[in-house]
Amino acid sequence: MNKEVKLDPHGEDLMAQFRQRLPELEQLAQKALDLLQNALREQGIYVTAIEQRVKSERSLAGKLELKGAKYKTIEDVTDLVGIRIITFYTDEVDKVAAIAKRVFDIDWQESVDKRKHQLNAFGYNSLHYICRLPGGSVRFELQMRTALQHVWSTIEHDIGYKGAVKIPPEYRRQFSRLAGMLELIDDEFSRLRSSVTDYRRKIQGLVKSGKLDDVTLSSDSFRNFIDLDPFDKLNKRIASVNQAEIFPVPLMPYLPLLESFGLETLGDVQRFVEENSDDAYQMALSQLAVTDLDILSSSTALQYLCIVHVLKNDGGRKGLKEFYDVINGQNDSNEILAEMTLEQAKTLEFMQPKKEETT
Amino acid sequence: MKTTIQEQDGQLVAILEGRLDTAVSEEVEEQLSPLHKCKDKDIVIDCTNLTYISSSGLRIFLRIVKSAKAKEKPVYIKGMAPNLRSVLSMAGFLNLFVFI
Repeated sequence: MNKEVKLDPHGEDLMAQFRQRLPELEQLAQKALDLLQNALREQGIYVTAIEQRVKSERSLAGKLELKGAKYKTIEDVTDLVGIRIITFYTDEVDKVAAIAKRVFDIDWQESVDKRKHQLNAFGYNSLHYICRLPGGSVRFELQMRTALQHVWSTIEHDIGYKGAVKIPPEYRRQFSRLAGMLELIDDEFSRLRSSVTDYRRKIQGLVKSGKLDDVTLSSDSFRNFIDLDPFDKLNKRIASVNQAEIFPVPLMPYLPLLESFGLETLGDVQRFVEENSDDAYQMALSQLAVTDLDILSSSTALQYLCIVHVLKNDGGRKGLKEFYDVINGQNDSNEILAEMTLEQAKTLEFMQPKKEETT
Repeated sequence: MKTTIQEQDGQLVAILEGRLDTAVSEEVEEQLSPLHKCKDKDIVIDCTNLTYISSSGLRIFLRIVKSAKAKEKPVYIKGMAPNLRSVLSMAGFLNLFVFI
C-alpha cells in the first residue's frame, strides 16, 4: 500500500472488508466480462478493447482517505470491480450500452452519462453504468467510451493527477480544447463510416438490379460483382471437361489485371466475360483435356478469360508474361509459362488470322 | 516416392522425390502431417526432385496451404520443374504458393 496514505479506523475497517471479499470480487469481474463478451459476439459487435480489473489496494486507499466517511460498508463503493469497453465509433457506445442493459441489472440512480456536458463545455466523455449480475447483489462499474475518448482520458489522468501541483486553468483549457477536437474527429469517423456504408449499399443495389454500366470498377464493386458468381457458369463448363471439383480461391488478385485491360465499369467486365467465354473454354479444353486434373480453382475461368483477352489483343508472349507476373508475382519461370501457354494456344480458332471477306 | 521432413534455418522443409500420384498420396499425406501441426516455422516444400504430381497430390498441397493460411503463414515451393508448375498454373493454383 502507498505509505503516504493514512486511513482512519473506519477506512481501515473498509479496507479489511475489501481484502476479505477479494476472491469473490475477482470471480465477479471475470464472470461479468465473460457475459458481456459473449453478448457482444452474438450481436456481431467488435470493439477495440474490453478489459476487467479489481481495484488495487493502493487505489482504494486513496479513495478512502479522501472520502471514506461517505461509505458505510465496502459495498457502497461501486467501482471495486470495473469493466471497460473501448469502441471504434461513438454510436457503438450506445449499442454496447443497450446490450449491457439486457445482460446486467443497472442501478440507474448511480449510473452517469458523462458525455452530457453543458453546451459550452468539453471534457471527459464516457458512459458509466453501475451494474449487478442478474440476481446478484454486488455492484460493479461498466465504463464505455470510444478509442479517442479513451486516449483523452488516459492522458488527462496521466498528466492531471501526477505530482502535487494543481494544474493551472490555462492548461485545463488546453485539455478542454483537445476534448472538443476529439469529439469532432469521432463524429467525422462515424460520418465517414456511414457514407462508405451508403456507397456500398448503392453499389450492391446497382449490381443486383443489373445496371452494371453505372458501376465503376473498384475493389468494392468488384467484390459485390463476385458475390453474383459471374464466372460460375464458365467454371462449371471448364470443370466438366474432367468432372473436376472446384476449389474456392480469392478472385480479388485479378482486379488490377482487369483494370489494366481498360475495363472501367462492371458492364465492361460483363461484356469481357460474354465476348471471351467460348474462346476461354476452348483454351482450357486444349490444356486440361490431356490431363487427369480433377480439381480446379474457382479462378480458372477468370484466368483463361484473361489469357484469351491478352492473346486477342496481340499481347503475345510479353503480354502473357506480364499476366503471370501480376497473378503469380514476378518470377523468371513466368517466361517459360508464357511460352508454353502461347504454344498451346497457337492452334485455337481465335488465334488464326481472319479470312478477308469476299464481295 | 520418398518424403523427408527436415528443419533447416528455422524452416520446416518437406523434401518430395519421385512421383506424387494417387497410389502414394495417402502415405505422403500422413508423412507430411508435421506441416499441418507446425505453428511458428515457415513451411517449404522442396520439389527439386519431384517428377509428377496428380490431382490427389495437388489436394495435399492445397490442404497444407489451407492450414498455413489459418496461421497467416505462406507456403514456399522450391525448385519445381516447369512442367509441374504448368499443372498448377492450368488448375489456377499457382498464386496460392510462393516460389523460391
